[in-house]
Amino acid sequence: MIESVLITVVQMIVALLASPFIVGLIRKVKAHLQCRQGPGWLQPYYDLAKLFRKDVVVSTHTSWIFTATPYILFSSTLTAVLLVPIFLSKVPLNFAGDIITVVYLLALGTFFLMLAGLDAGSAFGGMGSSREAIVASLTEPAMILSIFAVGLTAGSTNLSTIVHKTALLQGIVTDPPPHLMALAALFIVTLAETGRVPVDNPATHLELTMIHEAMILEYSGRYLALIEWASALKLLLFLTLISNVFAPWGIATERTPVWMAFGVAVWLVKVSGLAVLIGLIESMFAKLRLFRVTDFLGLAFILSLLAIIFFYILRG
Amino acid sequence: MVIHPDLGSQLVNLCSALLLLTCFAIIAQRRLSACVDLFALQSVFLAVTAALVAFLTGAHHIYIAAALTVVIKVIILPRILKAVIERLNVKRELVLNINIPSSLLICGALVILAFYITQPIISLGFLLTQDSLAIALSIVLIGFFIMIARKKAVTQVIGFLVIENGLFLGATAAAYGMPLIVELGVFFDILVAGLIIGVYTHRLQDTFDSVDTSKLTGLKE
Repeated sequence: MIESVLITVVQMIVALLASPFIVGLIRKVKAHLQCRQGPGWLQPYYDLAKLFRKDVVVSTHTSWIFTATPYILFSSTLTAVLLVPIFLSKVPLNFAGDIITVVYLLALGTFFLMLAGLDAGSAFGGMGSSREAIVASLTEPAMILSIFAVGLTAGSTNLSTIVHKTALLQGIVTDPPPHLMALAALFIVTLAETGRVPVDNPATHLELTMIHEAMILEYSGRYLALIEWASALKLLLFLTLISNVFAPWGIATERTPVWMAFGVAVWLVKVSGLAVLIGLIESMFAKLRLFRVTDFLGLAFILSLLAIIFFYILRG
Repeated sequence: MVIHPDLGSQLVNLCSALLLLTCFAIIAQRRLSACVDLFALQSVFLAVTAALVAFLTGAHHIYIAAALTVVIKVIILPRILKAVIERLNVKRELVLNINIPSSLLICGALVILAFYITQPIISLGFLLTQDSLAIALSIVLIGFFIMIARKKAVTQVIGFLVIENGLFLGATAAAYGMPLIVELGVFFDILVAGLIIGVYTHRLQDTFDSVDTSKLTGLKE
């Protein structure tokens, strides 16, 4: 019992500490490719610390939704992170929810963020919310279907079971084509959901293009810090999903401290590798026009749908 | 060195799945030069698949076919197509008969159809490349679809080449490659077809000031 609580707390601390690092890593990769030095490794942490110390400015036109949203967003994202296996394949909280819970915990945060964008009544916030609604409604089915495709081979929708079985190669009929399609779909969903380049640009405040930044334009101080931290956590969650659902090897399957320390190291390497890949993609590709985003996300949906259908056809 | 047959068949299936993925990327792509690059990438995967089959079955003539694939489909044909694109100054496929999301849906349906049709054949065989036959058929169907759905001559050429890739994958998967002389003939055909279509596209541009093939149906004095 105490062991389980301890592991959950450690997982929370690891995720909270690692998420700004991943954001910083992506910025560093982009800076290097642009032949810049870029800010130091600790800059995202300094930013958060600075924002937490600053005062909050809240418009008089806003309702309780505006002040509640940062807390709802942060806590729902953090809860979702605790349900995803990071360094131990069977997370202690796995009884609390499966992949559907994770998806809808994230959707809850997105929903409140959209409301908050509308709440302040500024034109940018409304624009950001409506764009986010398009993206979120298109990514959600693709995300669920792609993980279901893997869940079908593992025979469960519980993330811990999926990861545990895949890590031990237990009763898994490995099928490259469906897995590969689901992986491609989940990667596209990751780029879209975390506001990365072909869909959104995290480094801009240009009104024509921004989606996520437009919604949080009215926020300041500790509210902004919470939202920034929550989006870093969300990015970390998606990268963890990709690495641990599709290639969980190296994750601890037993609760021994040495195994788990090894698991943390392997996980950090995998997640950093994916972060470098995202940095490369951000440097190589231009942002898509908003109306082309549907093509891109349609591709993710079709791929994940095919992954599921392959499973049924190939297994009879 | 001998690879476990199960692992070998997994690897072949993985490579064929990558071929199918590039097909979908070609459909979702609007820029012509990116389409050509994706075709070259697909041919790389095809060569890798062929080399894997050659390694696993010991059929050495497939190595030659894989090498020819690299030379002709990865190096020469993309260069010819890029030169055509450069000269014609067509950058984008702006006019589509069918828009991209519905194209993707239709291609998804085509893949399901291909898997459904080949299922009885696959269960009969004992080849190490089970899924590859179904994937090969899907690629052929998608290639046909690209030729029908796109108007620009350059994209239609890419559709034609995608069909050829699918056929080659099917031959490798189902029969462990055709006799070398047939393969040589096919490669020569493809090369000549690429050249002829390049010339034809130039003529199209000169006559109609456009490479839109739907203009060919209009009568002209």
